[in-house]
Amino acid sequence: MKKIKLDITVNGVKHSLKVDPNLRLLDLLREELDLTGTKEGCGIGECGACTVILDGKAVNSCLILAGQCAGREIVTIEGLSDGEKLHPLQQAFLDHGAVQCGFCTPGMILSAAALLHANPAPTEDEIRVAISGNLCRCTGYTQIVEAVQAAAGKDKGDWWLQI
Amino acid sequence: MIPFNFIRPASLAEALDFLAENGERTEIIAGGTDLLVELRGIPAGKKGPKWVVDISGLPELKGIREEGEEIIVGSGSTHWEVHTSELIRETAPLLAAASATVGAAQHRNIATIGGNIMNASPAADTVPALIALEASAVLRSREGERVRPLSGIFVKPYQTDAAPGEILTAVRFRRLPAEAKSAFVKLGRRNALAISRMNAAVVLFLRDGVISEARIAPGSATPMPERFAAAEKILIGQKPSEELFRAAGAAVAAEMVDRSGRRWSTPYKEPVIAALTARALREALAG
Ligand SMILES: Cc1cc2nc3c(=O)[nH]c(=O)nc-3n(C[C@H](O)[C@H](O)[C@H](O)COP(=O)(O)OP(=O)(O)OC[C@H]3O[C@@H](n4cnc5c(N)ncnc54)[C@H](O)[C@@H]3O)c2cc1C
Ligand code: FES
Ligand code: FES
Repeated sequence: MKKIKLDITVNGVKHSLKVDPNLRLLDLLREELDLTGTKEGCGIGECGACTVILDGKAVNSCLILAGQCAGREIVTIEGLSDGEKLHPLQQAFLDHGAVQCGFCTPGMILSAAALLHANPAPTEDEIRVAISGNLCRCTGYTQIVEAVQAAAGKDKGDWWLQI
Repeated sequence: MIPFNFIRPASLAEALDFLAENGERTEIIAGGTDLLVELRGIPAGKKGPKWVVDISGLPELKGIREEGEEIIVGSGSTHWEVHTSELIRETAPLLAAASATVGAAQHRNIATIGGNIMNASPAADTVPALIALEASAVLRSREGERVRPLSGIFVKPYQTDAAPGEILTAVRFRRLPAEAKSAFVKLGRRNALAISRMNAAVVLFLRDGVISEARIAPGSATPMPERFAAAEKILIGQKPSEELFRAAGAAVAAEMVDRSGRRWSTPYKEPVIAALTARALREALAG
């Protein structure tokens, strides 16, 4: 296995790396860049715990090779808050009791962020479709949908463009 | 993950050159949503591909366009690109509907129509829609290009007749005329037992209130996707009615059993495919 060269932007920071050719984006984030907010649940695209935003769109980082992301931009959950100041979606999840064990939360919030990026005022149905690839075993989806609606309802200028 | 080498050619020509030399020991990766699940399933120590060649960035495989009466969909188009394309919604709404049902947003954003076809799963959602559109597959190797009816490239489940050096570059089909009626319906995995993801694609043409042409392509019903001629025949020359659509549904179920034989799943699949077909015909008629 020959290492490959990889230039990639993660949460606004440019990295020039040499990585194993069979590395998944998920492994790159967690193992090489120490961004452990991205979770591995199933590893086969079923649960959405590993969701990140790639060039503005939600993807499962367990189903993409690091090498396929050369020259592209990734946003992880660590990239949403402004230092200690939570992103409105993060705050809304807390306010609405949408977090229990928290394992699904980073992926859930990134799916919601990608949705609001494309569609600032989604209907309840559109929210449910956008998070249908994110499984939550504890909270139930009602509070999660309410949190997304609350975040979308807030007039925060174009904060979602910051993803 | 088992070890392999990774390359990312800068052009289609470069990818085809690489495959001409190394095709036998190489897997192509587009969106990776099927391939990475497969590679992950290979136990450590077992042999996998020597190379994985990434075609996901190739501009030659991108884009959806029309050429006269034909619509050409680049194999690298994602399901998101297909189902949000105005051109597809207008000229092949059943294909837009099929792409819209593939997996979740995270899959549709990256998974391609080319991968859906070349993975050759009997449950692939866009394939019945494309077969009902009488689509052709455009396959390219270093030596040249061949264009085949899509229904002819499937050899058995999870296998097409593509040579190791070939890349599917596009699918093409004639645009449906505005008066054609079509639908794609699917039994979702979450609202049913996960035995299979059955679906049905239909196209109807009517003249003076009578069905003049019918195409029925059920998915997950047979090992290889194909049209069901006996059921189509029942419709032709008839006025659409609930009774007629139910009869066509029953004929699809009977034809499925004829072709696939009776299996453990047959008692479940028979009523499901009959009902799905009737529903697709009803939805097509309603527009
Ligand atoms: C959780 C989950 C849910 C899913 N749900 C659905 C669903 O509802 N409906 C459905 O139909 N599918 C579903 N899929 C399967 C998959 O997402 C689709 O089949 C998808 O379209 C595959 O495209 P890809 O670009 O990701 O393919 P890849 O994984 O990149 O490739 C698939 C296969 O095709 C080959 N290949 C790819 N492109 C080409 C080309 N241009 N020329 C030659 N060979 C090529 C590859 O070598 C590989 O063997 C699901 C998958 C997952 C993980
Ligand atoms: S870990 Fe990626 S979808 Fe479950
Ligand atoms: S909060 Fe535990 S899985 Fe969602």
